[in-house]
Amino acid sequence: MIALVDCNSFYASCEQVFRPDLQGKPVVVLSNNDGCVIAANKEAKALAHIPMFQPVFKIKNILKANNVTCFSSNYTLYADMSQRVMDTLREFSPIVEEYSIDESFVDLSHYNNDELDEIAHKIKERVHKNTGVPVGVGVAKTKSLSKMANKFAKKIPENNGVFVVDSEEKRQFLLSSAKVKDIWGVGRKHTIRIENTGAKTALDFANTNLAWVRKELTVVGERLWRELNNLPCLELVTETSVKKGIGTAKSFGKKLADYSIISEATSFYVAEVADLLRQQGSAAGCIEVFLQTNYFSNSDNQYSNKIIITLDTPTNSTIKLTKEALKGLKKIYKPGYRYKKVGVNLFNLVPENQVQTSLFYEEHKSESKELGKVIDALNSKFGKNKVKLATVGNREKDWALIKEHRSPRFTTQWSELLTIGGKTSSIKL
Amino acid sequence: MKQEEVKLVEKTKKSYRVARPNQTGFSSPATHYTEPRIDLNDALIENPSSTFYVRVSDNSFSEFDIFENDVLIIDKSLTPKNNQLAVVVQAGCFQINRIDSDSKEEIQLWGVITYIIKSTL
Repeated sequence: MIALVDCNSFYASCEQVFRPDLQGKPVVVLSNNDGCVIAANKEAKALAHIPMFQPVFKIKNILKANNVTCFSSNYTLYADMSQRVMDTLREFSPIVEEYSIDESFVDLSHYNNDELDEIAHKIKERVHKNTGVPVGVGVAKTKSLSKMANKFAKKIPENNGVFVVDSEEKRQFLLSSAKVKDIWGVGRKHTIRIENTGAKTALDFANTNLAWVRKELTVVGERLWRELNNLPCLELVTETSVKKGIGTAKSFGKKLADYSIISEATSFYVAEVADLLRQQGSAAGCIEVFLQTNYFSNSDNQYSNKIIITLDTPTNSTIKLTKEALKGLKKIYKPGYRYKKVGVNLFNLVPENQVQTSLFYEEHKSESKELGKVIDALNSKFGKNKVKLATVGNREKDWALIKEHRSPRFTTQWSELLTIGGKTSSIKL
Repeated sequence: MKQEEVKLVEKTKKSYRVARPNQTGFSSPATHYTEPRIDLNDALIENPSSTFYVRVSDNSFSEFDIFENDVLIIDKSLTPKNNQLAVVVQAGCFQINRIDSDSKEEIQLWGVITYIIKSTL
Protein backbone atom coordinates (compact mmCIF):
# COMPACT_ATOMS: atom_id res chain seq x y z
CA MET A 1 0.00 0.00 0.00
CA ILE A 2 1.06 3.56 -0.69
CA ALA A 3 0.32 6.73 1.28
CA LEU A 4 0.17 10.16 -0.26
CA VAL A 5 0.98 12.72 2.41
CA ASP A 6 0.15 16.28 1.46
CA CYS A 7 0.77 19.37 3.61
CA ASN A 8 -2.26 21.61 4.13
CA SER A 9 -1.76 25.06 2.58
CA PHE A 10 1.95 24.42 2.99
CA TYR A 11 3.45 27.90 2.57
CA ALA A 12 0.88 29.53 4.83
CA SER A 13 1.27 26.73 7.38
CA CYS A 14 5.06 27.24 7.48
CA GLU A 15 4.52 30.91 8.27
CA GLN A 16 1.97 30.13 10.96
CA VAL A 17 4.32 27.76 12.83
CA PHE A 18 6.31 30.83 13.85
CA ARG A 19 3.32 33.14 14.20
CA PRO A 20 0.88 31.60 16.70
CA ASP A 21 -0.94 34.92 16.78
CA LEU A 22 -2.20 34.10 13.28
CA GLN A 23 -3.88 30.85 14.27
CA GLY A 24 -7.28 30.60 12.67
CA LYS A 25 -6.72 33.81 10.74
CA PRO A 26 -6.52 34.31 6.98
CA VAL A 27 -2.98 34.18 5.59
CA VAL A 28 -1.78 34.46 2.00
CA VAL A 29 1.65 34.10 0.46
CA LEU A 30 2.69 36.21 -2.50
CA SER A 31 4.72 35.17 -5.51
CA ASN A 32 8.28 36.26 -6.13
CA ASN A 33 8.30 40.03 -6.35
CA ASP A 34 5.05 40.20 -4.38
CA GLY A 35 3.26 40.11 -7.72
CA CYS A 36 0.27 37.91 -6.97
CA VAL A 37 -1.24 35.56 -4.43
CA ILE A 38 0.13 32.04 -4.87
CA ALA A 39 -1.04 30.36 -1.68
CA ALA A 40 -3.77 30.85 0.85
CA ASN A 41 -4.79 28.99 3.98
CA LYS A 42 -8.30 27.72 4.45
CA GLU A 43 -9.40 30.82 6.32
CA ALA A 44 -8.28 32.99 3.42
CA LYS A 45 -9.85 30.63 0.90
CA ALA A 46 -13.11 30.91 2.81
CA LEU A 47 -13.15 34.57 1.82
CA ALA A 48 -14.32 33.57 -1.60
CA HIS A 49 -13.61 36.96 -3.10
CA ILE A 50 -9.84 36.58 -2.93
CA PRO A 51 -8.98 35.44 -6.42
CA MET A 52 -5.79 33.37 -6.64
CA PHE A 53 -3.09 34.32 -9.10
CA GLN A 54 -4.43 37.86 -9.32
CA PRO A 55 -1.98 40.73 -9.28
CA VAL A 56 -1.82 41.98 -5.72
CA PHE A 57 -2.36 45.61 -6.62
CA LYS A 58 -5.81 44.69 -7.93
CA ILE A 59 -6.96 43.09 -4.68
CA LYS A 60 -5.04 45.08 -2.11
CA ASN A 61 -8.19 46.59 -0.68
CA ILE A 62 -9.94 43.26 -0.26
CA LEU A 63 -6.94 41.87 1.59
CA LYS A 64 -6.80 44.86 3.87
CA ALA A 65 -10.53 44.96 4.57
CA ASN A 66 -10.52 41.31 5.61
CA ASN A 67 -7.43 41.59 7.78
CA VAL A 68 -5.56 39.08 5.66
CA THR A 69 -1.87 38.79 6.58
CA CYS A 70 0.36 38.77 3.50
CA PHE A 71 3.79 37.19 3.35
CA SER A 72 6.35 37.44 0.58
CA SER A 73 7.47 33.95 -0.37
CA ASN A 74 10.25 32.68 1.88
CA TYR A 75 11.42 29.66 -0.11
CA THR A 76 14.45 29.20 2.13
CA LEU A 77 12.13 28.54 5.05
CA TYR A 78 9.69 26.41 3.04
CA ALA A 79 12.48 24.21 1.67
CA ASP A 80 13.82 23.52 5.15
CA MET A 81 10.37 22.83 6.61
CA SER A 82 9.68 20.53 3.66
CA GLN A 83 12.86 18.58 4.42
CA ARG A 84 11.75 18.22 8.03
CA VAL A 85 8.40 16.81 6.91
CA MET A 86 10.06 14.33 4.53
CA ASP A 87 12.57 13.26 7.20
CA THR A 88 9.73 12.61 9.62
CA LEU A 89 8.02 10.45 6.99
CA ARG A 90 11.19 8.37 6.71
CA GLU A 91 10.60 7.25 10.30
CA PHE A 92 7.69 5.25 8.92
CA SER A 93 9.19 3.85 5.75
CA PRO A 94 12.54 3.52 4.01
CA ILE A 95 10.93 4.34 0.66
CA VAL A 96 9.69 7.91 0.33
CA GLU A 97 9.16 9.65 -2.99
CA GLU A 98 9.47 13.42 -2.60
CA TYR A 99 6.91 14.29 -5.22
CA SER A 100 6.84 18.05 -4.70
CA ILE A 101 7.76 20.51 -1.98
CA ASP A 102 4.61 19.63 -0.04
CA GLU A 103 3.66 16.14 -1.24
CA SER A 104 5.26 12.74 -0.73
CA PHE A 105 4.40 9.16 -1.59
CA VAL A 106 5.30 6.77 1.23
CA ASP A 107 5.61 3.03 0.70
CA LEU A 108 3.67 1.23 3.46
CA SER A 109 3.92 -2.31 2.10
CA HIS A 110 5.65 -3.51 5.26
CA TYR A 111 2.51 -2.91 7.34
CA ASN A 112 -0.47 -5.24 7.61
CA ASN A 113 -3.71 -4.12 6.05
CA ASP A 114 -5.47 -3.81 9.40
CA GLU A 115 -2.73 -1.55 10.81
CA LEU A 116 -2.94 0.99 8.02
CA ASP A 117 -5.65 3.17 9.45
CA GLU A 118 -3.72 3.55 12.69
CA ILE A 119 -0.43 4.18 10.85
CA ALA A 120 -2.03 6.81 8.65
CA HIS A 121 -3.30 8.67 11.72
CA LYS A 122 0.10 8.31 13.38
CA ILE A 123 1.83 9.81 10.33
CA LYS A 124 -0.52 12.74 10.43
CA GLU A 125 -0.02 13.35 14.15
CA ARG A 126 3.75 12.84 14.13
CA VAL A 127 4.39 15.23 11.25
CA HIS A 128 2.21 17.86 12.88
CA LYS A 129 3.87 17.45 16.27
CA ASN A 130 7.46 17.42 14.96
CA THR A 131 7.16 20.28 12.51
CA GLY A 132 3.95 22.13 13.28
CA VAL A 133 2.77 21.56 9.71
CA PRO A 134 -0.66 19.92 9.33
CA VAL A 135 -0.98 17.19 6.70
CA GLY A 136 -3.59 14.99 5.08
CA VAL A 137 -3.00 11.30 4.39
CA GLY A 138 -4.55 9.12 1.69
CA VAL A 139 -3.69 5.43 1.57
CA ALA A 140 -4.47 3.00 -1.25
CA LYS A 141 -3.02 0.23 -3.35
CA THR A 142 -1.84 2.49 -6.17
CA LYS A 143 -0.41 5.99 -6.48
CA SER A 144 -3.40 7.29 -8.43
CA LEU A 145 -5.86 5.97 -5.86
CA SER A 146 -3.86 7.29 -2.91
CA LYS A 147 -3.75 10.70 -4.52
CA MET A 148 -7.53 10.68 -4.85
CA ALA A 149 -7.92 9.28 -1.33
CA ASN A 150 -5.87 12.21 -0.06
CA LYS A 151 -8.15 14.72 -1.79
CA PHE A 152 -11.14 12.93 -0.35
CA ALA A 153 -9.60 12.88 3.13
CA LYS A 154 -9.47 16.66 3.11
CA LYS A 155 -12.80 17.25 1.41
CA ILE A 156 -15.02 15.54 3.96
CA PRO A 157 -14.50 16.96 7.49
CA GLU A 158 -15.49 13.66 9.17
CA ASN A 159 -12.47 11.98 7.60
CA ASN A 160 -10.26 14.13 9.79
CA GLY A 161 -7.63 14.37 7.09
CA VAL A 162 -7.15 10.61 6.69
CA PHE A 163 -8.72 8.19 4.23
CA VAL A 164 -7.55 4.61 3.80
CA VAL A 165 -8.81 2.58 0.85
CA ASP A 166 -8.48 -0.83 2.50
CA SER A 167 -11.53 -2.52 1.02
CA GLU A 168 -13.27 -2.88 -2.32
CA GLU A 169 -16.30 -0.98 -0.94
CA LYS A 170 -14.14 1.97 -0.05
CA ARG A 171 -12.48 1.98 -3.47
CA GLN A 172 -15.86 2.06 -5.18
CA PHE A 173 -17.10 4.70 -2.77
CA LEU A 174 -14.03 6.88 -3.40
CA LEU A 175 -14.25 6.56 -7.19
CA SER A 176 -17.99 7.15 -7.31
CA SER A 177 -17.57 10.39 -5.37
CA ALA A 178 -15.02 11.80 -7.80
CA LYS A 179 -15.78 13.32 -11.17
CA VAL A 180 -13.84 12.32 -14.27
CA LYS A 181 -11.91 15.58 -14.22
CA ASP A 182 -10.76 14.86 -10.67
CA ILE A 183 -8.86 11.76 -11.72
CA TRP A 184 -5.17 12.39 -11.16
CA GLY A 185 -3.42 12.97 -14.47
CA VAL A 186 -6.47 13.33 -16.69
CA GLY A 187 -6.31 16.49 -18.75
CA ARG A 188 -9.14 18.48 -20.22
CA LYS A 189 -9.02 16.74 -23.60
CA HIS A 190 -9.27 13.27 -22.13
CA THR A 191 -11.96 14.37 -19.69
CA ILE A 192 -14.16 15.39 -22.61
CA ARG A 193 -13.46 12.18 -24.47
CA ILE A 194 -14.27 10.06 -21.43
CA GLU A 195 -17.39 12.03 -20.58
CA ASN A 196 -18.61 11.64 -24.16
CA THR A 197 -18.98 7.93 -23.47
CA GLY A 198 -21.52 8.79 -20.80
CA ALA A 199 -19.13 8.33 -17.90
CA LYS A 200 -19.71 10.80 -15.09
CA THR A 201 -17.62 9.56 -12.21
CA ALA A 202 -14.15 8.10 -11.85
CA LEU A 203 -15.86 4.79 -11.12
CA ASP A 204 -17.62 4.87 -14.48
CA PHE A 205 -14.24 5.31 -16.11
CA ALA A 206 -12.71 2.49 -14.08
CA ASN A 207 -15.56 0.24 -15.24
CA THR A 208 -15.13 1.18 -18.92
CA ASN A 209 -14.05 -1.51 -21.32
CA LEU A 210 -10.24 -1.66 -21.38
CA ALA A 211 -10.10 -2.16 -25.13
CA TRP A 212 -11.85 1.18 -25.63
CA VAL A 213 -9.47 2.90 -23.19
CA ARG A 214 -6.44 1.46 -24.98
CA LYS A 215 -7.71 2.54 -28.34
CA GLU A 216 -8.90 6.03 -27.43
CA LEU A 217 -6.57 7.12 -24.66
CA THR A 218 -3.43 5.14 -25.53
CA VAL A 219 -1.04 3.66 -23.05
CA VAL A 220 -1.31 6.63 -20.66
CA GLY A 221 -5.04 6.11 -20.30
CA GLU A 222 -4.58 2.39 -19.87
CA ARG A 223 -2.09 2.96 -17.09
CA LEU A 224 -4.57 5.21 -15.31
CA TRP A 225 -7.40 2.74 -15.81
CA ARG A 226 -5.27 -0.01 -14.29
CA GLU A 227 -4.22 2.16 -11.38
CA LEU A 228 -7.84 2.97 -10.55
CA ASN A 229 -8.60 -0.75 -10.70
CA ASN A 230 -6.04 -1.53 -8.01
CA LEU A 231 -3.34 -2.66 -10.42
CA PRO A 232 -0.18 -0.66 -9.62
CA CYS A 233 1.58 0.70 -12.72
CA LEU A 234 3.42 3.67 -11.28
CA GLU A 235 6.35 2.89 -9.03
CA LEU A 236 7.71 5.13 -6.34
CA VAL A 237 10.59 7.18 -7.69
CA THR A 238 13.27 7.78 -5.11
CA GLU A 239 15.97 9.22 -7.29
CA THR A 240 15.51 12.42 -9.19
CA SER A 241 16.20 12.22 -12.86
CA VAL A 242 18.85 14.40 -14.40
CA LYS A 243 17.23 17.58 -15.72
CA LYS A 244 17.16 18.08 -19.48
CA GLY A 245 17.06 21.83 -19.24
CA ILE A 246 17.72 24.31 -16.46
CA GLY A 247 16.46 27.84 -16.34
CA THR A 248 15.55 30.80 -14.25
CA ALA A 249 13.64 33.99 -14.90
CA LYS A 250 12.64 36.56 -12.39
CA SER A 251 11.06 39.95 -12.53
CA PHE A 252 13.07 42.91 -11.42
CA GLY A 253 12.08 44.72 -8.26
CA LYS A 254 11.46 47.75 -10.44
CA LYS A 255 11.52 48.44 -14.13
CA LEU A 256 15.01 48.94 -15.52
CA ALA A 257 16.21 50.65 -18.64
CA ASP A 258 19.97 50.69 -18.16
CA TYR A 259 21.94 47.97 -19.94
CA SER A 260 24.67 47.70 -17.33
CA ILE A 261 22.34 46.82 -14.49
CA ILE A 262 20.36 44.35 -16.57
CA SER A 263 23.61 42.67 -17.51
CA GLU A 264 24.48 42.34 -13.82
CA ALA A 265 21.18 40.61 -13.11
CA THR A 266 21.77 38.34 -16.11
CA SER A 267 25.22 37.42 -14.81
CA PHE A 268 23.71 36.61 -11.44
CA TYR A 269 21.16 34.25 -12.98
CA VAL A 270 23.77 32.57 -15.15
CA ALA A 271 25.80 31.86 -12.01
CA GLU A 272 22.71 30.32 -10.39
CA VAL A 273 21.87 27.99 -13.25
CA ALA A 274 25.51 27.09 -13.90
CA ASP A 275 25.79 26.03 -10.27
CA LEU A 276 22.80 23.70 -10.69
CA LEU A 277 24.35 22.40 -13.89
CA ARG A 278 27.59 21.47 -12.13
CA GLN A 279 25.69 19.95 -9.22
CA GLN A 280 24.08 17.43 -11.52
CA GLY A 281 27.31 16.87 -13.43
CA SER A 282 26.09 18.19 -16.77
CA ALA A 283 27.36 20.63 -19.36
CA ALA A 284 25.14 22.81 -21.57
CA GLY A 285 25.35 22.97 -25.34
CA CYS A 286 22.99 25.93 -25.70
CA ILE A 287 22.13 29.01 -23.71
CA GLU A 288 19.04 31.15 -24.19
CA VAL A 289 18.65 34.68 -22.89
CA PHE A 290 15.37 36.54 -22.99
CA LEU A 291 14.30 40.01 -22.03
CA GLN A 292 10.87 41.57 -21.72
CA THR A 293 9.01 44.67 -20.67
CA ASN A 294 5.97 44.59 -18.40
CA TYR A 295 3.03 43.40 -20.50
CA PHE A 296 0.61 44.35 -17.70
CA SER A 297 1.49 47.99 -18.18
CA ASN A 298 -0.57 50.14 -20.50
CA SER A 299 1.72 53.15 -20.33
CA ASP A 300 5.00 51.46 -21.32
CA ASN A 301 6.16 50.67 -24.82
CA GLN A 302 6.32 46.92 -25.19
CA TYR A 303 9.27 44.91 -26.40
CA SER A 304 10.48 41.41 -25.82
CA ASN A 305 13.06 39.27 -27.49
CA LYS A 306 15.15 36.19 -27.00
CA ILE A 307 18.28 34.70 -28.41
CA ILE A 308 19.64 31.17 -28.39
CA ILE A 309 23.38 30.75 -28.54
CA THR A 310 24.91 27.42 -29.48
CA LEU A 311 28.24 26.90 -27.79
CA ASP A 312 31.10 25.41 -29.79
CA THR A 313 31.69 22.99 -26.94
CA PRO A 314 29.24 22.15 -24.15
CA THR A 315 30.40 23.68 -20.89
CA ASN A 316 29.38 24.24 -17.30
CA SER A 317 31.86 27.00 -16.62
CA THR A 318 30.17 30.05 -15.12
CA ILE A 319 32.75 32.25 -16.78
CA LYS A 320 32.22 30.85 -20.27
CA LEU A 321 28.43 30.79 -19.92
CA THR A 322 28.37 34.35 -18.60
CA LYS A 323 30.50 35.55 -21.50
CA GLU A 324 28.14 33.98 -24.04
CA ALA A 325 24.98 35.11 -22.26
CA LEU A 326 26.14 38.72 -22.13
CA LYS A 327 27.07 38.62 -25.81
CA GLY A 328 23.49 37.45 -26.46
CA LEU A 329 21.97 40.05 -24.17
CA LYS A 330 23.82 42.80 -25.99
CA LYS A 331 22.25 41.68 -29.26
CA ILE A 332 18.66 41.67 -28.03
CA TYR A 333 18.84 44.69 -25.73
CA LYS A 334 17.30 47.83 -27.19
CA PRO A 335 17.62 51.15 -25.40
CA GLY A 336 14.53 53.20 -24.67
CA TYR A 337 12.44 50.52 -23.00
CA ARG A 338 11.78 49.87 -19.34
CA TYR A 339 12.41 46.18 -18.80
CA LYS A 340 10.64 44.03 -16.26
CA LYS A 341 12.22 40.64 -16.59
CA VAL A 342 15.31 38.82 -17.78
CA GLY A 343 15.77 35.07 -17.93
CA VAL A 344 18.37 32.46 -18.74
CA ASN A 345 17.79 28.89 -19.93
CA LEU A 346 20.31 26.14 -20.58
CA PHE A 347 19.56 23.40 -23.11
CA ASN A 348 21.19 20.42 -24.83
CA LEU A 349 22.61 19.17 -21.58
CA VAL A 350 25.14 16.36 -21.75
CA PRO A 351 27.05 14.57 -18.99
CA GLU A 352 30.14 16.65 -18.32
CA ASN A 353 32.48 13.67 -18.70
CA GLN A 354 31.15 12.97 -22.18
CA VAL A 355 31.74 16.39 -23.69
CA GLN A 356 32.92 16.12 -27.27
CA THR A 357 35.51 18.74 -27.96
CA SER A 358 36.15 20.06 -31.41
CA LEU A 359 39.41 19.51 -33.19
CA PHE A 360 40.75 22.95 -32.43
CA TYR A 361 39.39 23.10 -28.92
CA GLU A 362 41.71 24.57 -26.39
CA GLU A 363 40.57 24.98 -22.83
CA HIS A 364 40.97 28.50 -21.65
CA LYS A 365 42.49 28.74 -18.18
CA SER A 366 39.63 30.81 -16.83
CA GLU A 367 37.16 28.12 -17.92
CA SER A 368 38.95 25.25 -16.26
CA LYS A 369 37.03 22.77 -14.15
CA GLU A 370 39.46 23.24 -11.29
CA LEU A 371 38.71 26.94 -10.99
CA GLY A 372 34.99 26.19 -11.04
CA LYS A 373 35.40 23.62 -8.31
CA VAL A 374 37.32 26.04 -6.10
CA ILE A 375 34.65 28.71 -6.52
CA ASP A 376 31.87 26.22 -5.75
CA ALA A 377 33.73 24.95 -2.68
CA LEU A 378 34.22 28.48 -1.37
CA ASN A 379 30.60 29.41 -1.94
CA SER A 380 29.27 26.27 -0.35
CA LYS A 381 31.49 26.90 2.67
CA PHE A 382 31.05 30.63 3.15
CA GLY A 383 27.65 31.33 1.64
CA LYS A 384 25.96 31.84 -1.69
CA ASN A 385 27.71 34.27 -4.04
CA LYS A 386 30.60 35.06 -1.71
CA VAL A 387 32.87 34.54 -4.70
CA LYS A 388 31.38 35.84 -7.93
CA LEU A 389 32.32 37.31 -11.25
CA ALA A 390 32.77 41.06 -11.43
CA THR A 391 30.04 41.13 -14.09
CA VAL A 392 27.52 40.36 -11.33
CA GLY A 393 28.35 43.69 -9.79
CA ASN A 394 27.28 44.99 -6.44
CA ARG A 395 23.90 46.52 -7.11
CA GLU A 396 21.66 43.54 -6.38
CA LYS A 397 19.34 45.69 -4.31
CA ASP A 398 18.60 47.78 -7.38
CA TRP A 399 17.18 44.88 -9.35
CA ALA A 400 16.43 42.17 -6.81
CA LEU A 401 12.91 40.99 -6.19
CA ILE A 402 10.74 42.93 -3.87
CA LYS A 403 10.15 40.91 -0.73
CA GLU A 404 8.63 43.51 1.46
CA HIS A 405 6.82 41.07 3.71
CA ARG A 406 9.28 38.21 3.88
CA SER A 407 9.43 36.47 7.24
CA PRO A 408 12.86 35.74 8.76
CA ARG A 409 14.71 32.60 7.69
CA PHE A 410 14.08 31.13 11.14
CA THR A 411 15.73 27.77 10.58
CA THR A 412 18.78 28.52 8.46
CA GLN A 413 20.24 31.82 9.70
CA TRP A 414 21.54 32.50 13.20
CA SER A 415 20.89 36.18 12.64
CA GLU A 416 17.21 35.59 11.83
CA LEU A 417 16.14 33.26 14.66
CA LEU A 418 12.68 33.44 16.10
CA THR A 419 12.88 35.72 19.13
CA ILE A 420 10.68 35.49 22.19
CA GLY A 421 10.36 37.80 25.13
CA GLY A 422 7.88 39.08 27.66
CA LYS A 423 5.51 41.45 25.97
CA THR A 424 6.33 41.32 22.32
CA SER A 425 6.73 37.62 21.87
CA SER A 426 6.13 37.33 18.21
CA ILE A 427 7.69 39.07 15.31
CA LYS A 428 5.75 41.89 13.83
CA LEU A 429 6.59 42.45 10.25
CA MET B 1 27.00 33.16 21.32
CA LYS B 2 27.17 36.43 19.45
CA GLN B 3 25.30 36.37 16.21
CA GLU B 4 28.15 37.52 13.99
CA GLU B 5 30.65 35.09 15.44
CA VAL B 6 28.40 32.11 15.17
CA LYS B 7 28.32 32.43 11.42
CA LEU B 8 32.00 31.64 11.28
CA VAL B 9 31.61 28.25 12.93
CA GLU B 10 32.61 25.64 10.44
CA LYS B 11 30.48 22.57 9.97
CA THR B 12 32.51 19.52 10.86
CA LYS B 13 33.06 17.04 8.12
CA LYS B 14 32.92 13.88 10.09
CA SER B 15 34.89 10.91 9.01
CA TYR B 16 35.74 7.83 10.97
CA ARG B 17 38.07 6.50 8.30
CA VAL B 18 41.67 5.83 9.12
CA ALA B 19 43.54 9.04 8.45
CA ARG B 20 46.05 8.92 5.66
CA PRO B 21 49.44 9.86 7.13
CA ASN B 22 50.38 13.42 6.18
CA GLN B 23 53.80 13.37 7.73
CA THR B 24 56.62 13.73 5.31
CA GLY B 25 59.28 12.28 7.59
CA PHE B 26 58.31 9.78 10.23
CA SER B 27 54.74 8.65 9.80
CA SER B 28 52.60 9.58 12.76
CA PRO B 29 52.27 6.98 15.49
CA ALA B 30 48.67 8.24 15.81
CA THR B 31 47.69 7.12 12.33
CA HIS B 32 45.27 4.43 13.46
CA TYR B 33 43.96 6.35 16.43
CA THR B 34 42.44 9.50 14.94
CA GLU B 35 38.79 10.33 15.50
CA PRO B 36 36.57 13.19 14.38
CA ARG B 37 36.62 16.14 16.76
CA ILE B 38 33.73 16.60 19.18
CA ASP B 39 30.66 18.01 17.51
CA LEU B 40 28.01 19.74 19.64
CA ASN B 41 25.28 18.46 17.35
CA ASP B 42 25.97 14.92 18.58
CA ALA B 43 25.36 15.88 22.18
CA LEU B 44 22.65 18.51 21.91
CA ILE B 45 20.49 17.48 18.98
CA GLU B 46 18.75 14.16 19.11
CA ASN B 47 16.08 14.83 16.49
CA PRO B 48 17.33 17.27 13.84
CA SER B 49 14.06 17.33 11.91
CA SER B 50 12.08 18.54 14.92
CA THR B 51 14.70 20.79 16.53
CA PHE B 52 14.32 24.57 16.38
CA TYR B 53 16.37 27.42 17.84
CA VAL B 54 14.87 30.48 19.48
CA ARG B 55 16.60 33.60 20.79
CA VAL B 56 15.40 35.32 23.94
CA SER B 57 15.02 39.07 23.51
CA ASP B 58 14.75 40.30 27.12
CA ASN B 59 14.91 39.28 30.78
CA SER B 60 11.24 38.51 31.31
CA PHE B 61 11.96 34.78 31.78
CA SER B 62 14.53 35.35 34.52
CA GLU B 63 12.57 33.13 36.92
CA PHE B 64 13.78 30.19 34.80
CA ASP B 65 17.35 31.53 34.69
CA ILE B 66 16.78 32.41 31.07
CA PHE B 67 18.13 35.82 30.14
CA GLU B 68 18.43 38.18 27.23
CA ASN B 69 20.32 36.80 24.22
CA ASP B 70 20.21 33.18 25.41
CA VAL B 71 19.43 30.69 22.67
CA LEU B 72 16.95 27.94 23.45
CA ILE B 73 17.21 24.57 21.76
CA ILE B 74 13.72 23.22 21.35
CA ASP B 75 12.63 19.75 20.34
CA LYS B 76 9.04 19.71 19.14
CA SER B 77 8.87 15.91 18.97
CA LEU B 78 9.12 15.46 22.76
CA THR B 79 6.25 15.19 25.20
CA PRO B 80 7.18 17.22 28.28
CA LYS B 81 7.59 15.56 31.66
CA ASN B 82 6.93 17.15 35.02
CA ASN B 83 9.20 20.08 35.84
CA GLN B 84 10.63 20.37 32.32
CA LEU B 85 10.72 23.71 30.57
CA ALA B 86 8.65 24.25 27.47
CA VAL B 87 7.76 26.98 25.04
CA VAL B 88 4.00 27.32 24.97
CA VAL B 89 1.51 29.55 23.21
CA GLN B 90 -0.74 31.72 25.36
CA ALA B 91 -3.26 34.03 23.74
CA GLY B 92 -1.30 33.88 20.51
CA CYS B 93 2.02 34.73 22.18
CA PHE B 94 5.05 32.59 22.91
CA GLN B 95 5.73 32.06 26.61
CA ILE B 96 7.97 29.80 28.67
CA ASN B 97 6.38 27.43 31.19
CA ARG B 98 7.64 24.95 33.73
CA ILE B 99 5.47 21.90 33.20
CA ASP B 100 3.36 20.94 36.21
CA SER B 101 1.80 17.56 35.53
CA ASP B 102 -0.67 18.04 38.41
CA SER B 103 -2.05 21.20 36.91
CA LYS B 104 -5.46 20.93 35.30
CA GLU B 105 -4.83 24.00 33.23
CA GLU B 106 -4.65 23.24 29.55
CA ILE B 107 -1.57 24.44 27.73
CA GLN B 108 -0.82 24.75 24.07
CA LEU B 109 2.64 23.26 23.72
CA TRP B 110 5.03 24.55 21.03
CA GLY B 111 8.08 22.53 22.02
CA VAL B 112 10.18 21.24 24.90
CA ILE B 113 13.34 23.17 25.77
CA THR B 114 16.22 20.70 25.82
CA TYR B 115 19.19 23.06 26.24
CA ILE B 116 19.89 26.72 26.84
CA ILE B 117 22.94 28.24 25.19
CA LYS B 118 24.40 31.10 27.20
CA SER B 119 27.37 33.29 26.59
CA THR B 120 29.51 33.90 29.66
CA LEU B 121 31.33 36.81 28.13
